[in-house]
Amino acid sequence: MRYLWLVGWREFMENARTKGFWLGIFLFPVIILVSGSLPVLLAKKGVSTRHYVLIDQAGEFAPLIRDSLDRRRASEIDEALTSFARRSPAPAALAPYVTPGSSNRPVTSFDLTGWKQKAGSNYTDVPGFTVPRATWLEVPSPPDVASDGPIPDIENRLRPWLRGEKTLPASQASPNPKLFAAVIIPKDYATATNDSAPLRYWSDNTADTGLRDSIQRVLSDELRRREYQALGVDPAVIARVESRRAPVTDLNPRKAEGEEKVGLADRLRQWAPSFFVYLLWVSILVVSQMLLNSVIEEKSNRIIEVLLSSVTPGELMLGKLLGVALTGGVMMSAWIGSIAGMAFVQARIFASAAASGAAASNLASVPTDVLSLFQTTWLLPGFAAYFILGYIAYATIFLTIGSLCSTLKDAQNLMGPLMLLLMVPLFLMPFIPKDPNGPIATFFSWIPIYTPFIMMNRITASPPLLDVIGTTVLLVAFDVFILWACGRIFRLAILRTGQPPRIVELFRWLRNR
Amino acid sequence: MAQPALELRNVSKFYGDFCAVNDLSLTVPAGCIYGFLGPNGAGKTTSLRMILDILRPTSGSIRILGAESALQVRHRIGYLPEEKGLYKKMKAWSVIAYFATLKGLSAAAARTRAFELLERYGLKDFAHAKTEALSKGMGQKVQVLASIAHDPELIIFDEPFSGLDPVNQGVLEEIVVDLRNRGRTVLFSTHVMQHAERLCDRLVIIGGGRRLFDGTVTEARRTLPRRVRIETDDDPAALGRLPGVASLNSGGPGVWEVELLEQADPQLILRTCFEHSIRLRAFNAADPSLHDVFMKLVGPSAREASFR
Repeated sequence: MRYLWLVGWREFMENARTKGFWLGIFLFPVIILVSGSLPVLLAKKGVSTRHYVLIDQAGEFAPLIRDSLDRRRASEIDEALTSFARRSPAPAALAPYVTPGSSNRPVTSFDLTGWKQKAGSNYTDVPGFTVPRATWLEVPSPPDVASDGPIPDIENRLRPWLRGEKTLPASQASPNPKLFAAVIIPKDYATATNDSAPLRYWSDNTADTGLRDSIQRVLSDELRRREYQALGVDPAVIARVESRRAPVTDLNPRKAEGEEKVGLADRLRQWAPSFFVYLLWVSILVVSQMLLNSVIEEKSNRIIEVLLSSVTPGELMLGKLLGVALTGGVMMSAWIGSIAGMAFVQARIFASAAASGAAASNLASVPTDVLSLFQTTWLLPGFAAYFILGYIAYATIFLTIGSLCSTLKDAQNLMGPLMLLLMVPLFLMPFIPKDPNGPIATFFSWIPIYTPFIMMNRITASPPLLDVIGTTVLLVAFDVFILWACGRIFRLAILRTGQPPRIVELFRWLRNR
Repeated sequence: MAQPALELRNVSKFYGDFCAVNDLSLTVPAGCIYGFLGPNGAGKTTSLRMILDILRPTSGSIRILGAESALQVRHRIGYLPEEKGLYKKMKAWSVIAYFATLKGLSAAAARTRAFELLERYGLKDFAHAKTEALSKGMGQKVQVLASIAHDPELIIFDEPFSGLDPVNQGVLEEIVVDLRNRGRTVLFSTHVMQHAERLCDRLVIIGGGRRLFDGTVTEARRTLPRRVRIETDDDPAALGRLPGVASLNSGGPGVWEVELLEQADPQLILRTCFEHSIRLRAFNAADPSLHDVFMKLVGPSAREASFR
């Protein structure tokens, strides 16, 4: 036992000393955090102001577009001002309109309307407040472009500007702005049928379609409104009709009476296991790979002989399994702990926001739901159990492959088929949650190498007790068998050099000693 | 006589149909330096692995330090394998300490011992270097130290001198003699005869998996007739007729090799030359070296033996 521990501890320390290990531990929560908040951050700060030219030869659409974009811009500014006002301590100029948080209303609120009434049009002139940069900024067409000329002419002249060969005069937002997009509305746009005279949107950035989409929305609304009007229908009637939806409620018979409504929490409950399956899959693979590398290292530089003169092959094998399991365990705990921790902290924040009566977005309940998911389901204990049981099976197989090969290349050849087998649960992952107790799910649950992944995927769907216990017993039996079989192969293979043995030979090793 | 450190009785090892070790018997007395000699592919490494119970013999029995299996007495055995390797990312001291703890030392004792050994054998400055940063020779020294860190009674070195420069070979010889002087038993394999000749109290020569010789260095030399090498421009035919001379062979222009019978006195050759006015340019009466013995015993089979 002592030797098992010594071998395992060295293995753990070797992994724990690598930068990769710590990077893995810290990077994962950071990635989760960043990917959660990045879109918000990017939308606000990341993108520089984009300048565009609007040429409306029809002469009747530009005001509509400008009006819509201006309104959007105004609400951006209002939002920024509100969060500025809620800072602590409150900016002096705005203080009268700020109600600081108290014990029963923890969040500071700001009376924006009141402030606007008082300050009038200069309401953004607050010391310390900078108006956020506009996302879109219309600029007059460049001097060499005659906006009432023929369209091909205009476009030819605009090209160098759009390509960035010519730059616009410096503006407040940017010292050397490039023309991001040009929007050209042809003369007969209002009377054109669907495709005959389209609006021409020029830009070398095809990924950011925000501007195009906004404009298209405004124009679609306007064109529809006009057609309705031509048909003699009151636009107000249309608006009312369009707001009508066929009502549908999701109900789940498994839930208690009065709580059958399917909400976000239920969707989470349905899909969270997939996340854990993926985590399980990645961790088992990463950890098994570590094991494979470490055996091959010991084998290729013959440390193995010294080890085997000190410990038995069985002790060596189990020790290595233990050490790498420790590595994986620490990593997993750190990851899941960071998710739970983050959910906990955010739940507190949202809870206090909700208490203050602030408008709760429909995502605000996510952290609370995640927490309650952890508390009320078998997700976490299931993950721990399936990690251990799945790890034993896969890690032992990888370890044995390592013991059979003298080089990483040989090992990769042998791993090929195994990796194909390992891909199966990933392919199945999207289908299992849709029918968690259906025939496919049940069938694959009973294949020991897939049990951890598939059962993990079904865990929140209350699978039949027979499946839970039966597959677990089978998996444990399979683990015992794998340990026994691989122990035999390991003992014989570990000192072998040269080519890995053939399958037939492996069977012979299993049968006699 | 005290209990032998190691005893092999009729040990054989087959890999399928291939016989790596064939009916090998030998006895290593406690407290001596024992050489394990043989050409490539003679079965040295296989034998050592069987002695360490890393491999099981197909037949025959091994007693090591009074036990049936080396694993029962593994704390009293040190082993340096033929191919040298260390954990690349570990520090020199911690490798030594790790192997020592695997041999039963406590973590604290192992650490103290590691630093003590590194200091004694001139590697103090490298104690905290990762082993991948050490030169090949230094790495090998670290490995030797790792194999003796737990102060074993029986130390088994497989080709310990290969890859070391003459200075470090000298250091290693010192270590080996040191160990013997403190009553330890050292068994080492080599195919460099000079080391065996200088160090071994006893030796065994194996070839093709069989034992070809077992005894002291002196006994080994005695297996070959003594030779006298002379250089002369005169005809030495008279020497060939002497009673103690087995044969007289030409060893090149003006060079002759006189093979003596067991009890013959080289002085007789000198006297006869004087009497027959054979003028000598050189006269060299040397005992056969271990190299000659080795070549004679394994030469023919070693050429045929396939490299494994």
